[in-house]
Amino acid sequence: MNISEIKSARAGDSYFKVLHPSGLTVYVYPKEGYNSAYAIIGTKYGSVNTCFSLDGGEKITVPDGIAHYLEHKLFESEDGDAFARYAKTGASANAYTSFEKTCYLFSCTDKFEESFEILLDFVQSPYFTAETVAKEQGIIGQEIKMYDDSPDWRVMFNMLENMYHHHPVKIDIAGTVESIAEITAEKLYQCYNTFYNLNNMALCVAGNVTVDQVLSICDRMLKPCEKHTIENYFEDEPYEVVAPYVEQSFPVSVPLFNLGFKENADKPLDEKRLAHTDILLEMLASSTSEMYQQLMDDGLINTSFSFELFEGPGYRSVIFGGESRAPKQAAEQIKQYIAKVKAEGLSKEDFENARKSVYGDVISALNSVGSIANTILDHHFNGNEKFTYIDAVADTTFEDVQQRLMQMLDVNNCTLSVVKNGEEA
Amino acid sequence: MSQLQRTELAGGAYFNSVQDSRFKTVLIEANLIVPLSAETASANALLTYVMSRSCRAYPTYRSLCRKLSALYGAELSVSLGKAGDRQILSFTLTGLDDRYALDGESIAAQLSELLCQMLFEPNVKDNSFLPSETDQGKRELLDLIDSEFNEKRVYAIGQTVSAMCKDEVFGVRRYGTAEGVREQTPQSLYDTWKNVLRTADLEIIFVGDSQPDKAASVFAKAFANIQRDPVAITTQFVAKADKVARVSEEMDVSQAKLVMGFRGGRALPDKQVIASQLMAAVLGGTATSKLFCNVREKQSLCYYCAARYDKHKGIMMIDSGVEGDNIQKLESGIMHEIEDMQNGNITDFELEATKLAVINAYYSSNDTVRGIGSWYMNQIFDGEIRSIEEMAKRIKAVTKEEVVEAAKLLSLDTVYVLKNKGDAQ
Repeated sequence: MNISEIKSARAGDSYFKVLHPSGLTVYVYPKEGYNSAYAIIGTKYGSVNTCFSLDGGEKITVPDGIAHYLEHKLFESEDGDAFARYAKTGASANAYTSFEKTCYLFSCTDKFEESFEILLDFVQSPYFTAETVAKEQGIIGQEIKMYDDSPDWRVMFNMLENMYHHHPVKIDIAGTVESIAEITAEKLYQCYNTFYNLNNMALCVAGNVTVDQVLSICDRMLKPCEKHTIENYFEDEPYEVVAPYVEQSFPVSVPLFNLGFKENADKPLDEKRLAHTDILLEMLASSTSEMYQQLMDDGLINTSFSFELFEGPGYRSVIFGGESRAPKQAAEQIKQYIAKVKAEGLSKEDFENARKSVYGDVISALNSVGSIANTILDHHFNGNEKFTYIDAVADTTFEDVQQRLMQMLDVNNCTLSVVKNGEEA
Repeated sequence: MSQLQRTELAGGAYFNSVQDSRFKTVLIEANLIVPLSAETASANALLTYVMSRSCRAYPTYRSLCRKLSALYGAELSVSLGKAGDRQILSFTLTGLDDRYALDGESIAAQLSELLCQMLFEPNVKDNSFLPSETDQGKRELLDLIDSEFNEKRVYAIGQTVSAMCKDEVFGVRRYGTAEGVREQTPQSLYDTWKNVLRTADLEIIFVGDSQPDKAASVFAKAFANIQRDPVAITTQFVAKADKVARVSEEMDVSQAKLVMGFRGGRALPDKQVIASQLMAAVLGGTATSKLFCNVREKQSLCYYCAARYDKHKGIMMIDSGVEGDNIQKLESGIMHEIEDMQNGNITDFELEATKLAVINAYYSSNDTVRGIGSWYMNQIFDGEIRSIEEMAKRIKAVTKEEVVEAAKLLSLDTVYVLKNKGDAQ
């Protein structure tokens, strides 16, 4: 077994990376003195993977929302559901599906080994029947409707629909009531057998555990998988956004907006470019920035304002969003500010503050076993490594950030989405 | 769990600290506890937001943000809370531990200093806050009040509590009202500040590895010149509902919301309230709870259906999102589970699984600085300071009979429904 220790002098922490013979990549991040342990196993399979082939076979297209549906159904096995099994250990268990991955997790302060066995067991034991699949329609149908009423969710998906011509990232993770009606047990098995191969998955355990403890259970529980070739198909996506503006009427008392800047996306950003981007966005849009203060002084945003780098397989953009009484003006001011700094350059003082601030955030996040395990998995699926990223943040120079600015945030290729009360329009 | 050190700085003002070397961050938080009342809630809420925007040493919002950023991205958050008939104004600062400062400065000492400046040396002139800062604070708070309407789950619960407690102090919202906020002036806000400093109970809590002595002395000095006259607060308790009130609203929504408010028959300082809390958890607090297993999993009626007991006020709220046509079915389903408990139908598995889940959550809170901070603050609000071990012991000691007794004390007070204009009655 290939075990390597990854150390960070800056963080004063270290963790282990193991290439397990079963095919699974395993990370173990012991935290001395902690009561809790947090384990998460994920597959590189999310809502965008709706068209694929296995080992050069025929191209298969599956209904929207199937990855999320599969996540719900995997909790059930022939002899009951995993929640009932966890109930005997006291662990707090959950799962989530995002655009690019599906993850199953638990945290516990006692009986780690029992809970860990449950996790590894149910993730490797699919059990789908026509009856169990039918039962989930009502539950997920209500989950979809709950999100339909969420203005934050709507404003984002309306924006994505106007940003992407073809890419499935514009489709709701849970699908629609109509698309999930097409899901069958057979289709679930097809997706499971393609993507829930240990070679396509990774595991991370952080907290009150040792490497030996984790590996001895992995050795016992993991069923070796043959390596397969998975091909995911995405239609060619043009550089340009679909339309510059979209608006939806909604029962809200404060309007919301999302302003997204589309970029070409070849492969995920590496640690360095990610660090440059994070520091740049902090300089441009955090509460210390000139842009934020101006928007605030002019009454165009409030403290709900946020920004994020949004990237995954075949898509990358930067999204600014929040509540605003005058969303169009807020968006205009953001675009003008970006054009201005591109022409006149960034401030060195802002750079120093932003670098310290991002560095402080990433070090602080190492307090939380949940945050550690989730970010290690994120980095893994993007081909990156956590401590390399922390070093990249500390080593970023002003010139790096200047250079990055010139490659992104094209003010002629962005789209604004607004959700507001129809009666006020 | 690390021990709490508690010292009285002045009448009703305490400095609490927990020393713990496991974390990379420190937390310092001030909680000002005042009586909840319709007359003062809006003024207190506005004061909290205005005080967190600037102070004499950092007279603009930007200068304050830059100070935080220079302290390695320290974070300031403020919040308003209710614990029974108390309104709690919280100012929380978190930052890197001194060990990680790149140039040997003490971040913890600077954070304590900053918190003190915000509380005791605000941005005032001639017995008045600055009009511009007051206006910005108002805008922020009014947006916050309005945005509660945006999230329908939050809105529905808020409407239920308001209807249920319309003749009680507890019916006052934590932010007060929009009208109340608009009425405030820079002068009235100054009087509110003076009044709060004189009458509020103050609980400061420090969690981290750094020596808390310095922080304690900073606060002790600040209090030396303040005349203290804290007021005692008791929460009005209503043991039983006479009849069921029904409230409904119509709106343009995809999913209907059902909220049921019960009188629980017990509130603090009654020690048996712990059995009522456990009862609510058995009913709808976990993924093996009666509501989750039956109305969600078996009947496929909803995605979420949760029960929560408020130990200060002695009420229990159940909330769910459902198809408009199924509201009646859901209400009957919920009542059926409650009657089942009242008839003694609680399995050993249900009880033990709930206890394990609650205890797991207790111990997990000990692994974050925020978790430790809020554990002890909650104990202080409860009027009795207990360690996690002690609370776990008490949970374990609750018997099935006590849970059944607690269920028998429930009386339905208010049923609130939010539905689409086209939904059936």
